[in-house]
Amino acid sequence: MKIQKLFQRTRFGIFAVFGGIVLSTSALCLYTVDTQLSAEYEINSKNIAKTVADSSVDILLNRDLATLQSLVDQFVEIQGIRYIYITSETGEYLAHTFVPGIPDEILQSDHRSTEPIDRELPGLGNFVEVGSPILAGVAGTVHVGMDLDVVSLKITRAIGQQVYLVSIILVIGVLASIWLVNLAAKPLGELLAYAVELARDEDEESVSERAVLARDDEVGHLARLFLYVARNGPRPETLKAVQQG
Amino acid sequence: MLTRKDLIRYALAAIVLAPLERALGGAESYFRQADSGAAESNLDGASFDGEIVLGVSAAFSGPSRGLGTELYRGASAFFSRVNESGGINGRRIALKMYDDGYQPDPCVENTMKLMLEDQVFLLFGYVGTPTVTRVLPLLKKFQDENIFMFFPFTGAQPQRQPPYGDFAFNLRASYAQETAGLVNNFVRIGKERIAVFYQADAYGRSGWAGVRAALRPHGLRIAGEATYSRGAPFTGTMRRQVEILKASAPDAVICIGAYAACAAFARDAVDLGLEVPIANLSFVGSENMLKLLVEGREDGEAYTRLLVNSQVVPSYEDLSLPAVREYRELMAHYDPQVPPKLVKEEYAPFPNSFGSLEGFLNAKLLAEIIRRLEGQVDRARLEEAVFSVRDFDLGVGERVSFGPDRRQGLQTVYYTVVEDGRFVPLEDWQAKFG
Repeated sequence: MKIQKLFQRTRFGIFAVFGGIVLSTSALCLYTVDTQLSAEYEINSKNIAKTVADSSVDILLNRDLATLQSLVDQFVEIQGIRYIYITSETGEYLAHTFVPGIPDEILQSDHRSTEPIDRELPGLGNFVEVGSPILAGVAGTVHVGMDLDVVSLKITRAIGQQVYLVSIILVIGVLASIWLVNLAAKPLGELLAYAVELARDEDEESVSERAVLARDDEVGHLARLFLYVARNGPRPETLKAVQQG
Repeated sequence: MLTRKDLIRYALAAIVLAPLERALGGAESYFRQADSGAAESNLDGASFDGEIVLGVSAAFSGPSRGLGTELYRGASAFFSRVNESGGINGRRIALKMYDDGYQPDPCVENTMKLMLEDQVFLLFGYVGTPTVTRVLPLLKKFQDENIFMFFPFTGAQPQRQPPYGDFAFNLRASYAQETAGLVNNFVRIGKERIAVFYQADAYGRSGWAGVRAALRPHGLRIAGEATYSRGAPFTGTMRRQVEILKASAPDAVICIGAYAACAAFARDAVDLGLEVPIANLSFVGSENMLKLLVEGREDGEAYTRLLVNSQVVPSYEDLSLPAVREYRELMAHYDPQVPPKLVKEEYAPFPNSFGSLEGFLNAKLLAEIIRRLEGQVDRARLEEAVFSVRDFDLGVGERVSFGPDRRQGLQTVYYTVVEDGRFVPLEDWQAKFG
């Protein structure tokens, strides 16, 4: 006979605790990775924009836009950088990496702005754009667009790995707890079966030879108590005798 | 996520010169003159010993392979005649060739090999702005070795002005001259709204800057602009670019690109009703462009009737020019082909083309410069030999001169339109496009 009902709540509790751990760990991971990665991308974007700006000074002063474009083309090969454009102090687009053209959203924006901006460019994706002034802005501004979809992909991947690991731990934990609960429930099942036999008043010799009576634990004590009570009736000294073995 | 490693890599890429200088630091000892007795292998495994080896990195594969192939064919025709005649001062000319597919990184790698491993005498016949622009810092790095680049197939400014202008010699007119000529002619006939379709790289930007500069004296600005990615094939669509430019209501469009993309643009422009003159620069590869637009089409004329291509060499049909006659004779005689090891994709060369004529003229002038070394094949004397070229008759009607402040041989820009399935000189802009 199996003891199912007694441990149902225990099993549910274990599952709930592990589930809670998975969810809270994932949420914390999501927050941490998202915050840190986004911040790191933004800082990197600023550094890249500043480096392009610093590298562009001589080229701009030499009015060599082909070399400037070549420089920009090299930077845009860096993973995560999706576009770069350089505007003059008057807002003219001196070099850029857009194909087939500069998006209207960018054409309409403030070319002097260097503050991080979240951009959604139709057909291109979502970006965080940072700027850096060239020669304190008197020679123009460099704008670098970092691909947020790449950031999202990295966040998703990091969280996916975390959740995958915790899920495996959850499954193993639940299976182990079920096994342990069943292990604990087995002697109780034997005791219950034995009590039922006693109640049915089955053959006395048969009930005196059950293995459960030989157990040296609480289940064994209870089995012997049940047998004694069944034979002698409930008396105060009976319990004392059973407890003393 | 960008790691510190990525940032370091980025920082290295940012300053083109510095990393190259560091990477190549101490490499001076690798250099030897080609006449130092070093035995070098050419593509066929033959010895370079006693030959003057010229290093070539050009597009022999990819959508722009026609440019490198045609340029090589013209140069090879002339050098074949030189070698057959006993060489220059008893030295034969050999070409050490690599394919860069018109991509900057392979071009830089090839140039490193040519300079450090192959120890070529000079660099010759390079193709394209994005490639040449990336190689120029190498020349500056090795300026003590007097490695010069001769006659690249690009009209961009970086090899014509500081800080790299001293390391290259140009024969052809610049893109600034080509675009200025196109703009001035368009404005003269009342076409003031000029839009630009350009390759999204240094070449496109160079042409864009030329158009912008040429419009400024007229008080005009670029009416509209659209870009495409380098290597775009003819089979791709340029409809979005056409729509962008069409919205700017241009009177004319100047294209700064290679033949496959520019032909696709011309096709889609006509299909979408953008019926304005479409100009192309010399780099486009006129014959290849024409072939793409008309081959297998009954309505090919519709796509070509508004084309006007600027050229930096005269028409190869102009038999009044001695150089053209010589070019046609040698092309017919030798019919040079790109070495099989460099052929990755099929390409059917043209018997004659503007590209191969330019290659021919490049080779002819370079041979004259080497001849002026008078047997002392020494890089240190190269610049002096170049500057000794004064009023040299190359056979194209315009005399060639070089000097410390004049590192471009030819200044003339020619304009051609399509008639009867071929490019012919444009005589009257007003009558054609007015």
